[in-house]
Amino acid sequence: MTNGSPSESAISPGKPGQSTAVHVRDVTMDFGNGALAVSNASFELETGKFLTILGPSGSGKTTLLRMIAGFETPTSGEITVNGKPVDSAPPHRRSIGMVFQKLALFPHMTAAENIAFPLKMRRFNPKTIPGRVDEFLDLVKLGGYGNRRINELSGGQQQRVAIARALVFKPELLLLDEPLAALDVKLREEMQLEFRRIQHELGVTTINVTHDQREALVVSDDIIVMDGGRIQQHAKPVDLYRAPDNAFVAGFLGVASFINGHAVPGGLASGENFLSGTHAGDFADGTAVRGAVRAEQIRIAAEGGQLTACDTRLTGTVRDTIFEGERQLYVVATEEIPGITFRIYHHDPESFGLFEIGTRVMIGWNARDMKIFESRAS
Amino acid sequence: MPRDSEDRSFRYPLKWRIMDGLNAALDLLWPRRLGRYTGWALLTPALLLVGILVLGLFQIAENSLHTLDTSTFLPGEEYTLANYLIVAESPTYWRIIWRSLLGAGLTVFFTLLLALPYSYMMVRTNKAALRKTLLIVLFLPFFIGQVVRAYGILIVMGSSGAVNDALGLVGIEPIRLLFNFPAVVFGLVQYMLPFAVLMLAPALTAIPRETETAASSLGANWLKVFRHVILPMAKPGLVGAALVVGTLSLTDFAMPAMLGGGSQDFIANAIYDQFFRTADQGLGSALALLLVALGSVIAGVVIAFFGAGTLGMRGRK
Repeated sequence: MTNGSPSESAISPGKPGQSTAVHVRDVTMDFGNGALAVSNASFELETGKFLTILGPSGSGKTTLLRMIAGFETPTSGEITVNGKPVDSAPPHRRSIGMVFQKLALFPHMTAAENIAFPLKMRRFNPKTIPGRVDEFLDLVKLGGYGNRRINELSGGQQQRVAIARALVFKPELLLLDEPLAALDVKLREEMQLEFRRIQHELGVTTINVTHDQREALVVSDDIIVMDGGRIQQHAKPVDLYRAPDNAFVAGFLGVASFINGHAVPGGLASGENFLSGTHAGDFADGTAVRGAVRAEQIRIAAEGGQLTACDTRLTGTVRDTIFEGERQLYVVATEEIPGITFRIYHHDPESFGLFEIGTRVMIGWNARDMKIFESRAS
Repeated sequence: MPRDSEDRSFRYPLKWRIMDGLNAALDLLWPRRLGRYTGWALLTPALLLVGILVLGLFQIAENSLHTLDTSTFLPGEEYTLANYLIVAESPTYWRIIWRSLLGAGLTVFFTLLLALPYSYMMVRTNKAALRKTLLIVLFLPFFIGQVVRAYGILIVMGSSGAVNDALGLVGIEPIRLLFNFPAVVFGLVQYMLPFAVLMLAPALTAIPRETETAASSLGANWLKVFRHVILPMAKPGLVGAALVVGTLSLTDFAMPAMLGGGSQDFIANAIYDQFFRTADQGLGSALALLLVALGSVIAGVVIAFFGAGTLGMRGRK
């Protein structure tokens, strides 16, 4: 094999975007402790795509990933990678690279030895190994660091070694088990972009698990949101943000305020008040519903101010205000809907006046800004 | 003021007041400016204890330089290296030294061979019941003294013991299992196993399970995981356990005495004989110093090559 750049050497069989790399069919995992860890999960992932499984801790996302890796066997259902059942071969024969939560680098080896490990274990031609290791050190921008021991590398550099080690044997599938969770924000954002760059360069099918909604939105082609062991929604990042399927998804991505009520045409009724909104799905008038409105969709103005562009207007008092740099967060309690507070982002706080705590204000939104979901009995 | 009475009736809990009193007393006895010597003060008792040992060693060294005067049965006056010459020129003592070293080496080998899977199982199992069982089985013989244990082995493995009875059931004639070199090594391994398991357990616990999973996902089968990941990462524990088991075996007295039946003496038995049977303090002291030197050199070499392991100061290697 010639020493081509990683992008030239095809990793995945089949043409990207045309074949299904991972197929999860009706997978359930029961650890026997009451609740199902994963319940009837099904999805397909195209070759070369980057999928993120997003969910809070305990949502079953890591269990699902470990089943795809073949470390756990589902109670029922089937998982195939490139058409082959994942458990048809023992772990060391599978073509799956994984970056672990705590990286799991080998501390008794140098960076280069770590990266060479899968090549040696998989009996690559010993003559090609040093070249391949250098190639991947360059890919993760660690050229010249090969002889460093793991404890001589920074957190970000260790991440890069872990990525190179998982990719160097050109697996059919790359799995990322929250490897960025322990990094500080700056480094995490940098590594998110790195994951994306490397994934694009190699075109390797990737499944990432995280609880960080920003990471999911930044890196993924597709996102699956999980909660309580169930897949809540599977969509592209933009669609997921714009058109959440249910209140959980609406609340998990972004910052939203929720209002309980019952369905009426063109919105919901909360007590005496009509609030305009868009029904997500068909449900009869009077159904118990939950409206969600994102913080950046709510307008705020001084009492008696101009919010004529909004079809729902409420009056209230600023309870709290937090300066977040690029925006100002207001927490507003309204007279019309007692018992809840609205969270509102006011962008560009430099050029607008600020409202102090206790100021009387007016807030409002339009029908398309509030999504209304059927309340789930829980 | 109305709150005054309340304030006066208020008292701190008794425990706090006792602690305050103790603190005040301590401040008087050991003023704060002596703070930087506190560490040394706490170290003193241990240093004294070791000091006594060192004094004893000097005494032994002195004794070893006098030969026994066979006419008076008292140590001679003049200083001489004759005792060391006796040891050096005696094939019997060379055999005993060699036997002790070989016995200790074999004990280290077999003990680690048995202890590694035992501790691995104990550390890695998800079943609390199994972990507890393994611990209890490990500790039960630990509570029984060495002599009692050796006696137990004598009973079980004797010519009419349980082992030979069992062999008899399958038609094998009683064989002599005791009073030979393998019997001593067997006894030592049995004696050392808990030490080794206890020293290996923390080293194995320190290897994250994820690291093994990672190795297997990277293409290593279990044998390769063991060879390339577990073994090198458990090295500090293995070195520590080997040192402890090795030095304890090398200097052991009871197992060779009881299971060797007098034919399998280790250095400690030879020393005992010189001190308490022939009353040749000089020769006994020379042998004792030789044993100390032997043990120290081995420990020194091991530490120099492999680091101090889990015995303490974390070496880079």
